[in-house]
Amino acid sequence: MKSLWVFHVNTGACNGCDIEILDVLTPYYDIERLGVKLVPTPRHAHALLVTGPLTRQAYHAAKMAYEAMPPKPRIVIAVGTCACSGGIFHDSYALRREYRESLEYPLKGGTSEFLPVHLYIPGCPPRPEEILYGVALLKNIVEKKVRGELFREGTFVLPRESFNAWVEVLLRARIRKELGYFDGYSLLKRFMELVESSESKEELEKLVEKAINDEGDSRLRYGLEKLYSYYLEVVRTYEGILAAKRALVGLPK
Amino acid sequence: MPVTKAYPFEPEEAPPEYRGIPRIDPVLCIGCGACANACPPNAVLRIDDPQNGTRRIVLDVGRCIRCARCEEVCPTGAVRLTTEFEAATDDRDDHVEVVELRLARCRGCGKYTHYTERQVEKVLSLIPRGILDFDRVREKLPLCSECKLKLTVLNATKFGEVDGL
Repeated sequence: MKSLWVFHVNTGACNGCDIEILDVLTPYYDIERLGVKLVPTPRHAHALLVTGPLTRQAYHAAKMAYEAMPPKPRIVIAVGTCACSGGIFHDSYALRREYRESLEYPLKGGTSEFLPVHLYIPGCPPRPEEILYGVALLKNIVEKKVRGELFREGTFVLPRESFNAWVEVLLRARIRKELGYFDGYSLLKRFMELVESSESKEELEKLVEKAINDEGDSRLRYGLEKLYSYYLEVVRTYEGILAAKRALVGLPK
Repeated sequence: MPVTKAYPFEPEEAPPEYRGIPRIDPVLCIGCGACANACPPNAVLRIDDPQNGTRRIVLDVGRCIRCARCEEVCPTGAVRLTTEFEAATDDRDDHVEVVELRLARCRGCGKYTHYTERQVEKVLSLIPRGILDFDRVREKLPLCSECKLKLTVLNATKFGEVDGL
């Protein structure tokens, strides 16, 4: 099919996906160069662009829109995580859904509850590029990139050895409070590499100082300083406990 | 100068902070199910099979809202939100990623416990040497909850005997 005329139905979405669909129509992304046109009535449409987790109120309207479409090709495109599988609203009281065991996968819900869906575009909301990619996939311009995967028991790697692993767990909680998980965890990974590469305390101090001086971001500099002080604190506590225990064991009974 | 992006005809990369499709690294995953507890839309499932002794961590990208809670709570950094965003497909099975792990066997009764072998290894790797009595922890670890209860009671009675002498 050369050009796809779509009719957009919102079945209870939060409007995020609808705004992304508007984005896709702007000159910057310009989905019309792929032949896609938004039409005001389902009678002109080849494809139904469904967003939202399918509320009970919207069910009948969506069904009427689907039946009003010409019988061929009648493509249904589910845009957004809600339309794909129910998303964050999957167990809402307002949804039309069948009762299901919760442990079966792929997870059901959304548009697939009542319509045969031809294309799923997940995302919350999907990027404009994701919608462009989905439409291009429908027109066989691009290759499919995701695959279902099943990994059975294979190789297993523990990132760190005993003492460093313990230190990392303690530092993780601290750095998450200071910098948040995104910057904090990657910074912690860098710091632990420094710890593992250094052999003595003096060498570590030099390495950390060098890393702090080379770092351009002031937040990360602050994080490194904090991490180093926490690390010293943990090591001091550990050595204190060891010394206390040694003294206790050495005592005569 | 045209403003329109050439995207579907030319590859495009998301910025490094972009929260794209989550992926589980099967090399690092210990199967603790912290991600399944944290996930707001239940996109990650933890399915135990005590008969066959396997645990499945199932990640459904089509249910994921990319909130990165799983990345935040993962103790080994196995779950990462990649910058990939091209998840469109015509088959929902393509969205599912499964990691299957073995459950640990109880040393006492031989039944499968409710944690995996990798979890045991991870816990043992976390104990700093010298502070805790490593061998006693090692002896207690791969036990099911019933056997652990029995062992605790047994140890308590032993302690009472010693105390009474």
